[in-house]
Amino acid sequence: MRNSGMIQKLNRMKLRWCVLLVLVAVLSSVKSDLLAQDFGDSKSSTLVTKAWEALAAGEHDNVTAYTKKCCELYQDEAKKQQSSLSDFAGGDDDTIHSYWALNDVGTILFIQGESLSQQGKSSEAVEAYKSLVDDYGFCQCWDPQGWFWKPSEAAVAKIKELDFDAQLDD
Amino acid sequence: MIRTQIVKSILDNVTFLFLCALVAQTSVAADGSRVRIRGSAKDGYQLYVNEEHFVIRGVGGTSHIELLSSCGGNAIRTWDAASAEKKVDGKSLLDHAYDKNIFVTVGLWLGHERHGFRYDDPNSITQQRDEVVNAIKRLKNHPALLCWGLGNEMEGPDGKGDSVQIWKEVNTLASLVKKHDPDHPVMTVVANVNDAKLATIKKYAPLIDILGVNVYSGSVGMDKTLRDLGWEKPYCVSEYGPPGPWEVASTTWKAPLEPSSRSKASTYFAATSSILDATSKDGTQVGQKYCLGGYAFLWGHKQETTATWFGMLLPTGEKTLVVDAMTKAWTGSWPRNRAPILQSNRITFAGKRVGPGEILDAHVEYRDPDSDDLSYIWEIVKESTDRKIGGDAEKRPDIIESRVIDGSGSDQIRIQAPQKTGGYRLFVTVRDGHGSGCSENWPFFVSP
Repeated sequence: MRNSGMIQKLNRMKLRWCVLLVLVAVLSSVKSDLLAQDFGDSKSSTLVTKAWEALAAGEHDNVTAYTKKCCELYQDEAKKQQSSLSDFAGGDDDTIHSYWALNDVGTILFIQGESLSQQGKSSEAVEAYKSLVDDYGFCQCWDPQGWFWKPSEAAVAKIKELDFDAQLDD
Repeated sequence: MIRTQIVKSILDNVTFLFLCALVAQTSVAADGSRVRIRGSAKDGYQLYVNEEHFVIRGVGGTSHIELLSSCGGNAIRTWDAASAEKKVDGKSLLDHAYDKNIFVTVGLWLGHERHGFRYDDPNSITQQRDEVVNAIKRLKNHPALLCWGLGNEMEGPDGKGDSVQIWKEVNTLASLVKKHDPDHPVMTVVANVNDAKLATIKKYAPLIDILGVNVYSGSVGMDKTLRDLGWEKPYCVSEYGPPGPWEVASTTWKAPLEPSSRSKASTYFAATSSILDATSKDGTQVGQKYCLGGYAFLWGHKQETTATWFGMLLPTGEKTLVVDAMTKAWTGSWPRNRAPILQSNRITFAGKRVGPGEILDAHVEYRDPDSDDLSYIWEIVKESTDRKIGGDAEKRPDIIESRVIDGSGSDQIRIQAPQKTGGYRLFVTVRDGHGSGCSENWPFFVSP
């Protein structure tokens, strides 16, 4: 009797440990999801900054999350801005910055392409780059060194590079 | 009597040979190339060499002319006149090029202010003008001459590059070149472009025929960039290649991450294709093409951050995958013998810190399209501390004597990290034994 009670007690303890472990696992996964879902103030510029940081840290899931969020919130405005242009916006820096949605959605798609490319997901990377070129081709990205660069031109180069890379394995 | 006859016979032969040489020399002089640019800003531009349309499929360098010819290249560019005249195996680079139907843009080196040259010093200016004119007089009649490359990045690799003094002098030099040689266009070469630089060149150096732009990461978009900046004359991408050490991510100890051989090959291919797309294919004036072609950097090898960053050939002369990529872009076909292709690598310590003397494991997997047997050489090299800008000469860091535990000569190695604290790179050089090879490297840092 005494032994059987001990065994029951041990089993209950085991069960509690198991439940605890499961809880820890669930909580930690929720926590990492929550972290991944940290979009800050959700401004397009914030999401782009976070995507660059995630890319540099090799946190590819986070790059995808920021890209999705940015597109979900700002792609309509970005497309509107793109269709209002017939070439890259010129003029002073403020004028170019006024196409903020276009610039940020285009840039984040470039980051997504880079991330997918780094993961060896070539066809998905080409898709991201093509979406950038086709839908947000006039986007421009401010370089902290003091000028704007054109993600769509860089994306065209990346598509050519990925096409060639695929030929190497033929 | 017999001796006299022998001496006379020798003298006759020598005289004959001398006359032959003289005739040959005169014939080269008489048959100097004639190069013209045709077209306009409205219709686009084309280069014509001896009345034939010519798209520059070029490289920057001074050697391996035969290999260049076999890969589909048709032009080479030097940075100074001495390199074009220097004799190897009894012939100058121009002569070797002529033998293989390769044309040469001969560089006319102009002083750089960062090296101490002063564009406000009359004596320095006079001396430089004399040197330029003398080089033109010596070489203008060579049949392999394509263009004059007047200076290389003398406006400085950083900053706006809009010094009026420099560009006025370039214009004066261009007028001197044209005065002494009306048969070859004058190209000046800049380190990338910006609006201030282009505006200054347009205003103060209008005699320049071709703008040569050295550009790495942005080479694919250069055509659009120049148009956006309002450039309406012919241009040429005078240096292009992989992203430079100044354009890539670095480790925490500031060691730039060199792209893999495979990634470099893709970059060269994309850039070359874009350059060719921007040129007029058949000499027809359709499509407002302003680009005359390009020169990939570097046909050879040099130390610039690493010994392999820009080299299209290994230091031992083998062509790399980059050359295969260029061949494919230039000719549409792969070369007969192809270089090994990196499939995967497992370098767990790449970009990380390791302990002194720690055991390091590295593994690479290459595929050789010709199924050649591959040889592998692994080396640990100190991180370069002699970093310069603008391509200035750098000292190659030391190779470290390393204790190989296992796997020397194979595709995997177990090697002991150096004891001394500091940055290093593990290099692997792979050769196929038939003239092709490639190299990769991974930085790591030793600290206690």
